[in-house]
Amino acid sequence: MKKIKLIAGICWAFAALILIVVLFPALNGLSASFSKLPFMKLNPRYTGGEVVTRTVESACTLDIRKPVFTGFFKERKSGFVQVDWRGTLPEIINDSIDYDHDGRKDFRIIINRKESKSNLVALKTNVKDISVSTPTSYGWAVRVNLNK
Amino acid sequence: MDNVLKSAEMRKSVGKSLLYTLPMFLITFIFMTGGKPNFSDPSATLALVITFGLVNILYFMMHFTGRTDRYRAVLFIIFALSLSFTLIRNMLEMRHSMSFSQADLLECKIPFCHLVIPMMILPAAFTKSIIFPGSIINGFASISSMVVLWLVATIVLGRGFCSWGCFYGGWDDGFSRIKKRPVLRKINDLWRWMPFAVLLMVALTAAMTLMPTYCSWICPFKAVTEFEQITSVESVAKAGVFLSLFGGLVVVLPVITRKRTQCSFLCPMGALNTLSNKVTPFTVKIDKKVCTECFKCVDICPLFAISREDVKKGDISLFCSKCGKCVDGCSKKAIHFGIKGIPAGSMKNFSRNLFLFVSFLFLAVFSSGPIMNTLHNLFKLIF
Repeated sequence: MKKIKLIAGICWAFAALILIVVLFPALNGLSASFSKLPFMKLNPRYTGGEVVTRTVESACTLDIRKPVFTGFFKERKSGFVQVDWRGTLPEIINDSIDYDHDGRKDFRIIINRKESKSNLVALKTNVKDISVSTPTSYGWAVRVNLNK
Repeated sequence: MDNVLKSAEMRKSVGKSLLYTLPMFLITFIFMTGGKPNFSDPSATLALVITFGLVNILYFMMHFTGRTDRYRAVLFIIFALSLSFTLIRNMLEMRHSMSFSQADLLECKIPFCHLVIPMMILPAAFTKSIIFPGSIINGFASISSMVVLWLVATIVLGRGFCSWGCFYGGWDDGFSRIKKRPVLRKINDLWRWMPFAVLLMVALTAAMTLMPTYCSWICPFKAVTEFEQITSVESVAKAGVFLSLFGGLVVVLPVITRKRTQCSFLCPMGALNTLSNKVTPFTVKIDKKVCTECFKCVDICPLFAISREDVKKGDISLFCSKCGKCVDGCSKKAIHFGIKGIPAGSMKNFSRNLFLFVSFLFLAVFSSGPIMNTLHNLFKLIF
């Protein structure tokens, strides 16, 4: 039994040696394979959720994302919806958003890009306030807090 | 006299040490040059030569002198400093600031580090997603590559990752070596269980909030990497916590205790790596036939991994990070690197050689990128 343990220990140690030697050359391939695992995608709380509506107006594109209510076990009562403006933006952005596609506008947002000021006009009771309004590399992004 | 006797057993002749260094020399050359050496940029070439030379001289010295910890620590500390330098330089170049903005968060541009892993396990299992605003596969420090690196290293080295792979550990390791003798000697080793409490707390709070709470609120290394832009009372409070913990646990306590207090008392990753010590083939063993129970190893272990009871039983606890300090410090040669399955006291040289090759190769290759990058940028600044 002692001999088996000794041989197993040495074999495992040599396997570890091989693992470390191949780790760095194989890192890109291993990472690519690992990234395909089902849980290897960013939580919508970080990505902002998938784009569900894209409106293109001349040089500017408006993306409305799917509202995010993600929780650990189940969906939460409060969440947010992210709206992105891409491309060449006007100095003052003024858009009314229907994020739930019920045919009625849910909120209106006015952004003065020069002064970095954002105003929200809630048109429904479940729209709360602005959590983030910031310039981005692609244009401007706003997250509006919501109740379900 | 004792130390001379101790190291004599593991030390090798110049020729034999060179022979042992040769595989490391060849492999690190291939990894550092990518197999295609390009010497067109003089400052990059100089950075490569210095890094390559440093790594291989340290490895040679480990074999030649029979000492481990001293030479490991040199590379480990340089790794920590150079990684912080690289990160800060990248941020200053890209964002003109050490802080990240809301846009960086929204665009998921935050570099990932292994300290997030304990917090992402539960949400990954339950929500099938990663709770971190980084890149899954592309760019600098992607989530996928960092998880794979950590996973393989921790399977192979166990908690050895904390002394041979963690790019933060070098900070408190460095500060713990400043004073020759500790000012504060008596610390209850029950504190070593604290990281498990932190691990439990951050894992649960991260699951509840779907936020990496340790990174947002606790991580002391935010002080030397990147932190949230100071725009509110909350962000001021966070910066205060980061700086206080860095000052207390990474600088002051290591200096006065000669222990790695951040790693021992706070780091949730250390707690997770402790569990992986069950898997790794490498270990540190006490040869009870030789041990005189002087308990010097208990005093010098920087991670509270050896208690008096452990020495009496002839066992090293799971907290061991295989830094080699006790191995170097034992005057009776009773403590040595070992392989599971091989009885204590036998095949000491074989076990040490194999462990050193595996662990040092990981440290050398992992650290070489940031070290070369740092040197290259310093040379560009100077010349």
